[in-house]
Order: sequence, then C-alpha cells, then structure tokens
Amino acid sequence: MNFALTSLRPCTRVYVILMALTLATWLIGQSDLTGIAIALLVLMFAMLKGLLIGDYFMGLKGLRSLWRWAVIVWLVIPGGLISWAFVISV
Amino acid sequence: MHDHRTYPPGDLAIWIFILAELLVFAIFFAAYAFTRVGHVELFNTYQQTLDTNAALANTLALITSSYFVMRAVAAIREDNIKHCVRWLIAAIVMGLLFLLIKSAEYAQHYSHGINLRTNIFYMFYLSLTFFHFMHVIMGMVILASVAFMARRGKYSAADHTGVHTGASYWHMVDMVWLILFPLVYVMR
Repeated sequence: MNFALTSLRPCTRVYVILMALTLATWLIGQSDLTGIAIALLVLMFAMLKGLLIGDYFMGLKGLRSLWRWAVIVWLVIPGGLISWAFVISV
Repeated sequence: MHDHRTYPPGDLAIWIFILAELLVFAIFFAAYAFTRVGHVELFNTYQQTLDTNAALANTLALITSSYFVMRAVAAIREDNIKHCVRWLIAAIVMGLLFLLIKSAEYAQHYSHGINLRTNIFYMFYLSLTFFHFMHVIMGMVILASVAFMARRGKYSAADHTGVHTGASYWHMVDMVWLILFPLVYVMR
C-alpha cells in the first residue's frame, strides 16, 4: 500500500504532521535534552501546530481578512513573550 | 449569509468568543512563563513530576478529535448527514478520552496531597489545565448539540453554518492545548 503523504487528503496530511510534531515534542520531553535552544524549538513546534490548526482545520487559509491575522498574532505574541521569559530565565 | 472569503467559517459571534478565550489563555501562558523566571529551579523540579505520557495521550486524543470534526464538516458539505453525525460522535468520544485521562492525572495528584496551595508551579499547572478542562467539556456539549441538530436534519450542504460554528470552537480548544502541553510539561 502506497502511503505517500502527498496522496492523502490535505486535512489528513495535516493530521499526520500534527501527530508527528507531537511525538517529536514528547520524545524531547523524555530525553535529557534541555536548555534554551531546545525549549524554543519545542515552542516553535507548538506554534507551527497552531498555525496548521488555524489554516487547515479552522479554514482560515487564504482568508483575506483580519480574522486569520488575529489567530496568527495570538500565536506570535504569546509565543514571543514565552520565548523572552525563557531566555531571561537562563 | 456573509462572504466566506472575508469571514471565517461559522457564526461571527463564536469567533468573537474564540478570540476572547484565546486572549485569556494567552495572558495565562505569559503569566506562567514570567512567573517561572523567578522560580526556575522549582518549576523545573516539579515539572518532572508530571505525567508526560498522559499528556502525550491527551494531545493525540485532541488532535484526533479535531481531525474527526474536520471530517464531519467535509461530510456535511457533501450532504452526508449520517457520516457527519458519526464523525462528530467519534470526536466527542476522543474528547471524553481526554477528560478521563486528565481526571486520572488529577486523582493521582490529589492522592499525593497536591493542590493549588502546594507551590506556585502546581497552582499554575492545576488552574491552567482545569480551566482548559472546563473548555473541553463546553466544547463537547457544543459538538453534541451540533450532532443532535444534524441528526434531526437541521443542516445540509447548502446550510451548515452551525457545524462550522461548533467545529471552530472545538479547534480553538485543541489549539490552546497544543501550546499548554509543551509549555507546562516539556519546556525547561
């Protein structure tokens, strides 16, 4: 059976990517990997997942309005604040 | 009927509500991160006591439930009411799984005498996750209402704003957890 990612529906493709990013995050949590770079990498995974949910599951992709940007801003600003807090805590 | 190229799918009122909820969670997340600055060792230590396997299972459950909701929306777009209802029920079951796993975690903490007053990390962890827990319950009630209405023939390919509305709220609940999980359970 051909399980090429490209042969799946777009939403199914996104689902597979979300699951993979989640497993990657969990593996990092299980490992001895720590430090600011790892923390920010994990946060980037989370923000990417949020963007994928917004664009593909919530149907915001291609929307020419402030609504899509509101969700992007929600990901970027708190993400930025969290990053800053973790950097200054080192 | 509004222009879907400009407006997000579903009722605009739910989107205003979604943005308000996202704002509250954003403030909560920032408060957690900045409070941690003054208590790094404490946060790192007690974070290790959390069950990341349970959190992984919860994350997978919520992502899967969001996917099922997506499939429900796709089904009603094709006028397939039966499949729409089945996918919504499947999504609710995944939501229930989330609640059961989270409840088991809370029971475990309670059995060890952990509560909101234990320390500042647990105060944030318990209040953040419980606040989200309540949103999952609300989301499940919304999805159940949508499934009930769909079964009664209230939605069709021509008119399924209600399905989009319920779906949008549920995806918000999922999105919030996708930030909460790494922030509270993993990042150190």
